[in-house]
Amino acid sequence: MAALIRYTLKRLLGAIPTLLIIITLAFFLLRAAPGGPFDMQRAMPPQVKANIEHMYHLDEPLWQQYLNYLDSIVHGNFGPSFVYRGTTVNDLIRQGFPVDLTIGGLALLGSLLLGVPIGIIAALKQNSAWDYGPMATAMLGISIPNFVVAPLLILVFAVQLHWLPAGGWGHGRLQYLILPSISLGLPMVAYMARLMRASMVEVLNSPFIRTARAKGLPERIVIWRHAMRPALMPLISFLGPAVVGIVTGSIVIEQIFGIPGIGRFFVNGAFNRDYTLVMGVTILYGMLIILFNLLADILYGVLDPRVRFE
Amino acid sequence: MMCCNRVAVKRISMNRVGRWLAVVVLATLTTMLAACSASQHGSGPIHHYQVSNQPVPPAQQIFRRTIQSSPRTLDPSLSTGVPATNVLEDLFEGLTSIDPSAKVVPGVAKSWTIRPDGKTYVFHLRHDARWSNGAPVTAKDFVYAWRREVDPKTAAQYAEALNPIVNAAAIISATLPPDKLGVTALDPYTLQVKLVAPTPYFLSVLSNTYYFPLYAPTIRKWAVSWTQPPHLIGNGAFYLKTWMINGHLTLLKNPYYWGAKKVRLQKVIVYPISDQSSILARYLADDLDFANSPAFPPSDVDWLRHSLGSQLQIAPYYGNGFLGMLVHQPPFNNRDLRLALSMALDRQVLSNKVGQGLTVPAYSLMPPLPGYTQQVPVWVSWPFSKRLTEARRLYHKAGYSAKHPLRVRLLYPTGGPAQRHFMEAVTTMWKQNLGADVVLWNEQWKVMLQDIQYKNAKLYWSAWIGDYPDPFTFMQQFQKGYAMNYGDFDYPAYQSLLAQAQADPDNHTRYRLFGQAERVLNAQEPFIPMYFYTSDNLVKPYVAGWKANILDRHLAQYIYIRKHQEH
Repeated sequence: MAALIRYTLKRLLGAIPTLLIIITLAFFLLRAAPGGPFDMQRAMPPQVKANIEHMYHLDEPLWQQYLNYLDSIVHGNFGPSFVYRGTTVNDLIRQGFPVDLTIGGLALLGSLLLGVPIGIIAALKQNSAWDYGPMATAMLGISIPNFVVAPLLILVFAVQLHWLPAGGWGHGRLQYLILPSISLGLPMVAYMARLMRASMVEVLNSPFIRTARAKGLPERIVIWRHAMRPALMPLISFLGPAVVGIVTGSIVIEQIFGIPGIGRFFVNGAFNRDYTLVMGVTILYGMLIILFNLLADILYGVLDPRVRFE
Repeated sequence: MMCCNRVAVKRISMNRVGRWLAVVVLATLTTMLAACSASQHGSGPIHHYQVSNQPVPPAQQIFRRTIQSSPRTLDPSLSTGVPATNVLEDLFEGLTSIDPSAKVVPGVAKSWTIRPDGKTYVFHLRHDARWSNGAPVTAKDFVYAWRREVDPKTAAQYAEALNPIVNAAAIISATLPPDKLGVTALDPYTLQVKLVAPTPYFLSVLSNTYYFPLYAPTIRKWAVSWTQPPHLIGNGAFYLKTWMINGHLTLLKNPYYWGAKKVRLQKVIVYPISDQSSILARYLADDLDFANSPAFPPSDVDWLRHSLGSQLQIAPYYGNGFLGMLVHQPPFNNRDLRLALSMALDRQVLSNKVGQGLTVPAYSLMPPLPGYTQQVPVWVSWPFSKRLTEARRLYHKAGYSAKHPLRVRLLYPTGGPAQRHFMEAVTTMWKQNLGADVVLWNEQWKVMLQDIQYKNAKLYWSAWIGDYPDPFTFMQQFQKGYAMNYGDFDYPAYQSLLAQAQADPDNHTRYRLFGQAERVLNAQEPFIPMYFYTSDNLVKPYVAGWKANILDRHLAQYIYIRKHQEH
């Protein structure tokens, strides 16, 4: 246990320079992009522009702005949004992140519940219709991008059948979550099923399973007690970054369904040069990736006794 | 034996499952491909696709509409874009307002008097105007709002919209304090405004967001977060109930509004959606009652015309698209070249074929405006072959030929395929008709704006939407010294006509002078007019009180849901 805590702390400390590099690179790259947050077709009188730049400290030297920014994020303050005036980046993340968590969580849960059993069944019934059928479908699921699946789902279930809304958030009511979660989760089901099948097939062919079977253990015990754990390993390492990807939302899904998640803030922020908003979301994404990779590594250790936290 | 039999049974069932799966996969694929081809080729065999022409109206007086994007702020002084205006004009009301046809009508001011010099306005406010918390709306609320707008500390991007008022410009540039603004509350219900010059369109600008009154106590109490519900106090027909950025805004009927008796809608839900395919899908799924322009991808217009009939509302819009040029730098310092390029464009093909009929061919600056006579160049009435002969003559006169063609870059913003196709058609026409080598170059909007402002672009796409129904809002773009005269046009005759028009209080004389100015533009061609915009709206048949208008502004207070039996 002590080793685990030490390991976690070491990893978290190691994340600080990584985050600092991310912040520094993002900060200066953003500022290098031509055009500023307040540039519009309607040119502003110089005095008005100066007033605005002064208000947002854009008239200070860049290094000073950078240091001020570092200081404010140390205090957990991502600053005011430059585009949504009167709103802070913290407000926007607080508003958008739960939306992504809900849709992403549902998509992840659904894809785990579907993908893992499909993969296991395919592995157990290797080279049969139970294997080829789902695996071919999974290939299809991976190959068809979600910007094709999403409009199709809308066309069928919203426009033609009128069963579900074609978009919007509707205060998170279930009927608004179904289509976006399916669009987001469908490729994941496919990935998970294929991953699970491959690892299960490999494990089932390993000597310890042969030994277990030779001992006369029932197939159920062989699968659940002996094969399952090692077969889950590749899935765990895949889930780390995948969870981040799915939870931070797919900009495409948010755009198509008009969902107020942070993915849209991120992209629109970049187009509009909303420096603080893009920085805030970048830092959040960076932190999530570091965190979930760490979680995946810890889970690895729990599942595989050969892994040592040193 | 038993065992073998079991295996055999299993195999048979497997084969069945396999076949079943194959059928499912095939069916899915076929449906997907069919739907793909249907959604990609909107004008294709779409007649299988049933669209309800008699959608069921909502049971209550609830109106669901779109705006192009989430408002960046709901502070009327700080707001800049059309989406914010669409929401703010339901939450606030200025001294004047507009009717469903966008004509100016009295708002908080029930009447007004204008001194003969046209420079002093006295407004008499209605006594029954109330804020959404029940407090009376007084002249002081206007004084407070307007002073706040021009105060450098507010840093309002559109502060210069108040420039017609005495001292506004000096206050914005911090040479005078905000209390020197030419606006005075003579008593709680009388407001006097002094203008720098007679501004006959002043009554119409008063209905714009930056002239709205503000409720000082809520701003003082909540500072920047005053625009969040429930702190936002407005004086419009509706008040703000919820606001989720990029999600939706909910507006409820304001019982304190002076005209509340005539307001029939109880609730307005505003969805910011920028993706045109998504807007269309949500409209077709009956999730929306009104999809505001641009409400669908341009490529879908043909089948929408066919299947939705009068739900599709295409009407002239107060804006134009044109190509700007740097008129003091080669090659565009040559008037003959500018004219040749303009005459060599077949705008009928550009608007009707390439633009799918969603734009109107433009040959001069001014879009249609009631009371104003558009001035078009004489060559518009010529057959296109005659135009081309003249264009080629001018092109050669300017020193270009097949051996020595014009080589220049045309800058346009990164956008959808419709924009790209249009620009490709323009350069192809120049290549075919004149032999000019114009290369297309696209940049992200902000990058492009900077290139135009820093004079890095010699030829560029541009567009303008008028702020108020007066020619000056368009003519100003070519006024010497104006910040948005990016092409640096300073032709003396045009400048003096503009100055004369600005000084004249009589609208008839002004419009005549503007007409002369437009003819100067036609002769000098400091820009290449291409098209006038249209507003392309989708409105359900049960929506009543909605009218297409040139400003594409639709106040929810006039709109209501016609009940089923009323159809």
